[in-house]
Amino acid sequence: MNNWTDVAAEADLFEGAGIPVAPGGRNIALFSVDGEVFATDNLCTHGNASLCDGFIEGHEIECPFHQGRFDLRTGAPTCAPVTEAIKVWPVKVEGGRVFLDLA
Amino acid sequence: MSPPAPQPGPDTLSWELGGTSRIPFAVYTDEQRHQRELERFFYKGHWCYVGLEAEIPNTGDFKRTAIGERSVIMTRAEDGAVHVVENVCAHRGMRFCRERHGNKKEFVCPYHQWSYATNGDLQGVPFRRGVRQDGKVNGGMPADFNPKEHSLTKLKVAVRGGVVFASFDHEVESLEDFMGPAILRYFDRLFNGRKLSILGYNRQRIPGNWKLMQENIKDPYHPGLLHTWFVTFGLWRADNKSQLLMDEHHRHAAMISTRGSAGQAAQVTQVSSFKESMQLEDPRFLDIVPEAWWRMGEEMPTAVMMTLFPSVIFQQQVNSVSTRHIQPDGTGAFEFVWTHFGFEDDSEEMTQRRLRQANLFGPAGFVSADDGEVIEFSQEAFKSKPQHRTLAELGGREVSDTDHMVTETLIRGMYEYWRKVMEADVDPVPSPAEAAS
Repeated sequence: MNNWTDVAAEADLFEGAGIPVAPGGRNIALFSVDGEVFATDNLCTHGNASLCDGFIEGHEIECPFHQGRFDLRTGAPTCAPVTEAIKVWPVKVEGGRVFLDLA
Repeated sequence: MSPPAPQPGPDTLSWELGGTSRIPFAVYTDEQRHQRELERFFYKGHWCYVGLEAEIPNTGDFKRTAIGERSVIMTRAEDGAVHVVENVCAHRGMRFCRERHGNKKEFVCPYHQWSYATNGDLQGVPFRRGVRQDGKVNGGMPADFNPKEHSLTKLKVAVRGGVVFASFDHEVESLEDFMGPAILRYFDRLFNGRKLSILGYNRQRIPGNWKLMQENIKDPYHPGLLHTWFVTFGLWRADNKSQLLMDEHHRHAAMISTRGSAGQAAQVTQVSSFKESMQLEDPRFLDIVPEAWWRMGEEMPTAVMMTLFPSVIFQQQVNSVSTRHIQPDGTGAFEFVWTHFGFEDDSEEMTQRRLRQANLFGPAGFVSADDGEVIEFSQEAFKSKPQHRTLAELGGREVSDTDHMVTETLIRGMYEYWRKVMEADVDPVPSPAEAAS
């Protein structure tokens, strides 16, 4: 059962970093890479930092605190000091709106 | 009236008779010389003790300790190897690690959250690339900031027989050459490859100069005289079969003695113990069981006290084995950390025996409590009378290995080395007139 929830306007996204959204009180970051949208938990699994404030390199988000990195497509850690994957959320974009599957 | 004492220059010590049998009080109190000792003995050209591998068996285990007056951390990193790093953040110099020991995936300085791998590599710097505000990135480190250049200071590490040594000096000779063959032989006797197990620690702060602890364990004159416990219960006698050995530089030493079975202690010490009628409440303190590893050729030494200059003492007193780590704190005090250990293949009975015999040692030990006090009282006198000197002339004024205990040769040997290192290439202190010009 999908639970697609409208979380943001696609126009709010920009290249290079993310934006935070809070559907149902969750803390999620949205990123735009070459026109494709990705969503991950916003809080880094390592330090107490928000990934939306980080820096996108290819398909990786670099944490602003300790430069650990995650693959935005899978959530897998790709650079120390992060060792624990970040949760990724299914995304669809329809009619200029970004939807997440929060099921 | 006696003529006035010769006034030495600002950086010259008066060594009476020219040798090292009369040691100026000032070597224990002079701040400038203390700094030079730290630089020349603890931070350069020497290996210092940091701990036992058994203290950090698992990946991420660490122990905070000290070399000289610098705080260092011994860690077992992801690569499985032992690393020693300085406890000084590369950013603002903070001593970030406060715990004595533990297990961590990384070290994080609380001041600005700089994060280091357990091998000391800098991993992450908060806001290295700046902070976004209204679509603009503010601040951050310079573009050429290279984390690889800002690791924690990494020390050179040597591990032998489960004992970990480190040096700030990456050019230092090998640990084996540092010890020399005579001392290495006794080191390898104690640390012969068996896995060690940690039994516990004693920690104390002794208000005296750190060298006095080295001298205490290079002094076989005092044990049968100061330590009435030894005398009363016959653990140390001046006529024990014994040997004093040094490395070629005379900086390290081993006092090796084999306990005899004959006679009352008073017959040889000339100290008629006023406690001779005393009995141990628990005779198991003297439940001594010889162990196979004690054997050296024909001998089965019962006590081997090794001084490794400048930082550590390795001790076997019958079944009690321990390391004693000397950590100077200024001219007038040092931290003294005892690590009591055993061996992984010890029986439960042997472990209990080692623990019981460990009651002789440490700050409240039946024997060692005495040493802490005499060191304090010597230091008190040194401070009040800087032109005076101690006397270390038992057994003569020369330095040599001996086959008896009735000598202070090891102390003279240590100061022979001390003088060689401390007096080499000293920048002359300018006279007030020169300084003013």
